[in-house]
Amino acid sequence: MNRWWAAGAPVVAMCVVWVSLSGAQPETRRPHFTDIAPKSDFAYRTDNNFTGRKYFPQTMCGGVAAFDFDNDGRMDLFFTNGAKLPEMQKSDPRFYNCLLRNRGDGTFEDVSAKAGLQGKDLGFSFGVAAGDYDNDGHEDLFVCNAGRNALYHNNGNGTFTDVTDQSGITKPKDVLSVAAAWFDYDNDGKLDLVVSNYTVWTPQIDKICAINGQEYYCHPKIYPGVAHRLYHNLGNGHFEDVTDSAGFGKDLGKGMGIAIADFNGDGYQDVFIANDTVRNFMYINQKNGTFKESGYEWGVAYDENGNAHSSMGADAKDYDNDGFPDLFYNNLKGQIWGLFHNMAGKYMSYVSGLSHVSRLSEHSSGWSNGFIDYNNDGWKDLYSSNGDIDDMGTVSRQPDTLFENVDGKQFRDVTNEVGADFARAGFQRGSAFADLNNDGFPDLVVTSLDEKPRILINSADNGNHWLLVNTIGRRSNRDGVGAALKLTTASGRTLYNHVTTSDGFMSSSDKRVHFGLGAEKAIESLEIRWPSGIVQTVKKPKADQILTVTEPSK
Amino acid sequence: MSRFRPILLALLAFPLFAQQPAADHDALLQHAIALHQSGDLDGAIRAYRDYLAVEPDSVQARSNLGAALARAGRYDEAITEYDIGLQKSPDNPALLLNLGLAYYKTGRHAEAAARFERAMSLSPQFNDQVTLLLAVCYNNLGRYKDAVALLAPLEKDKGGDAGFDYVYGTALIGAGDEAAATAVMNRILAHGDSPEVFLLRGSLELAAHDRVRARADLEKAIALNPKLAGAHARLGELLLALGDGEKARAAFAQELALDPDEFTSNLNLGVLSKEDQAYVEARRYLERALKVRPNDPGVRYQLANVDLATGNLDPAREALEALVKESPQFAEAHATLATVYYRMNRSADGDRERALSEKLMEQRDALQTGTKPR
Repeated sequence: MNRWWAAGAPVVAMCVVWVSLSGAQPETRRPHFTDIAPKSDFAYRTDNNFTGRKYFPQTMCGGVAAFDFDNDGRMDLFFTNGAKLPEMQKSDPRFYNCLLRNRGDGTFEDVSAKAGLQGKDLGFSFGVAAGDYDNDGHEDLFVCNAGRNALYHNNGNGTFTDVTDQSGITKPKDVLSVAAAWFDYDNDGKLDLVVSNYTVWTPQIDKICAINGQEYYCHPKIYPGVAHRLYHNLGNGHFEDVTDSAGFGKDLGKGMGIAIADFNGDGYQDVFIANDTVRNFMYINQKNGTFKESGYEWGVAYDENGNAHSSMGADAKDYDNDGFPDLFYNNLKGQIWGLFHNMAGKYMSYVSGLSHVSRLSEHSSGWSNGFIDYNNDGWKDLYSSNGDIDDMGTVSRQPDTLFENVDGKQFRDVTNEVGADFARAGFQRGSAFADLNNDGFPDLVVTSLDEKPRILINSADNGNHWLLVNTIGRRSNRDGVGAALKLTTASGRTLYNHVTTSDGFMSSSDKRVHFGLGAEKAIESLEIRWPSGIVQTVKKPKADQILTVTEPSK
Repeated sequence: MSRFRPILLALLAFPLFAQQPAADHDALLQHAIALHQSGDLDGAIRAYRDYLAVEPDSVQARSNLGAALARAGRYDEAITEYDIGLQKSPDNPALLLNLGLAYYKTGRHAEAAARFERAMSLSPQFNDQVTLLLAVCYNNLGRYKDAVALLAPLEKDKGGDAGFDYVYGTALIGAGDEAAATAVMNRILAHGDSPEVFLLRGSLELAAHDRVRARADLEKAIALNPKLAGAHARLGELLLALGDGEKARAAFAQELALDPDEFTSNLNLGVLSKEDQAYVEARRYLERALKVRPNDPGVRYQLANVDLATGNLDPAREALEALVKESPQFAEAHATLATVYYRMNRSADGDRERALSEKLMEQRDALQTGTKPR
């Protein structure tokens, strides 16, 4: 044996030398996405009831939530849908919202009717937010609508009950609500709710806009802005509208995506709301039940030219792993997608240019989006669902984009390298990230107007390692929303993330916190800073597992 | 193309050959004039300088030297000579006109316009030659209403002249009078298609957000005359509106290859470079735009943004404070100034500017109908 070993050694050494002399790192295999939706039998298509007449809200249809409604450990999917216009009723099954149960074999079954989530009594639905607002261990749903909004309580037996009327969640008449997010702004252990509202709208007051006889979707300027709303969870299924007292009532926006993070590192969750053609709002938590709108101070209200753009989806994650959550929002073609680097919790620095995001994005009209470490290299990449507002241009149907994060500094476009199913052109709208098959690589669910959604499964074949953390709060809210996680690998590399389901536009993602570890197999520690203030450290957790961490009692 | 030649002819400088030189050095000056008239510009420049060394107060020689330098393309030197001449003879309309032409050729339209205005006021006989040129300056300076005011009284007599109509039509589009501009354009169209008419029509369509037709017309204009002034810049604006920044950059660069001082292209390339965070390049383009339109609030605002982005808070604050003082309705400047104050921990000032900005934007939004595609 020794002789063979001795003879073999130089060969290994020569190989090492050859790789070194070639000057090239072996190219890491890039995962790709495959649409598995066609394997499942479900009727849902995103239907905005476009029949020639262009109603204002038709551009926004197809919210999506990835959440485990039946606690079987597999992420299920919920989709919102439009309504018959101008009646604004889900008068036909084609307009029903849809709950798909993940069977775990790559297929999904439509359980909407059984669950009571078809939303037959709702109007035109937009965004959805999943969260366990009553800490009973079952994920609930909030659905945003033109018409009344809806809070669905998960009964824990596969059914939901519409508890909106008794919840105290109301809104001013005819306000069109686009998106919502669950978060615990006062760290009292109960999830509160923020809703981004767009305008006052009914089909009866819808405006008609046309050029040379061709109708187009009216510019948002034609509709008034409204206040976003904040609801404080009082417990026992009751909420109080604290919009005005908490400082949300003064600023009138045209709300789209919501990003939740502790931007200044003070232990309290802050709120960014992207507004369409109105300046963006950054509500900094004052730690006393109120917020201060600080978009100017943080440099995110306008773009660098002082312009308010059509900000769409938003996400806040730490893309360069420096310990502070950064911010991203997308907008329409011809505008500049905004990537902002958090300057140590003091303000945001606009880095779209340096990071190459501005040039990479200039041909796309983005809607939903988010940071997603699709290749598990530890750097969060940027996904955007794309498609024009209208169908008037030559390139209105657009592919989604995936910008790969290069060492936390720049991004490169890998859209055309991650599979034809990913790069399919369409009028994409909502999106959610979830590890649907629990293989540690994030998958993607995307809605497109007038199409069946895509359920894009990550090929998970580049050999990188990962950790998925499922937080269960005890003093904190049961979902652990707002918990800040710091992972240190054996080599000393630090990665950051936090628990939130809110990202992108009209959508709600897997609440489990995902870490890509690259080639590293060993983790030194996982530190969790819970919303309660408790700091918990898990020593040397194994990689490549779904780790459930329960908050200690003190 | 020949229909548009009158504007170009006006760019020639006028030497003052007719005046009599001083007797003592008559031969030297006559020699210089002879060289000048024979086209030996270098020889003429040398001879004029020799003569001026002994007769430095000769306005005629100074003016002729300036004209020879201008004809040789040495505009900055020409400007220096004309300025010296004007110190001796401040109300000399020919010198003012020539100085204006030299400024025009170097893209310094504000200085050119001031000299043309003065020359016209001193010597009304120059009006025919200078009016259109002055209107072009106004257009380049963004003073479209001034150009319209200058040309409108002449429309009855000059309307139908292609050169006049083109400049007038451009002014009307810039001033937002699309109906009048359409009438002028139709008048040009009556003479048949031309690159200029496609450019005018494309500009009108661009203003009306009819981007498909605008693109077709602008591309036709460029196909017919790739060197048509302003066509690449308009196409660049259109491409930007269509979200094609890369092609817009190329169009603006092509415009600057034809005219390094074209305002719109410099401004847009400055802004695009700023967005790329290529701040040195951005500053270079913006400063060139500012040379063309000195004190232009939009350019100064962008330069202040470059300062803010590069962490130069004090220069940014100073520039923005000056801007909002001069242009109190400039909502974006108030907004950016608010951010600067907040960064400087001047919260009260930041709050004040923020409130002003929001009030102004609300007022502006109230005036906008929103009846245009996004």
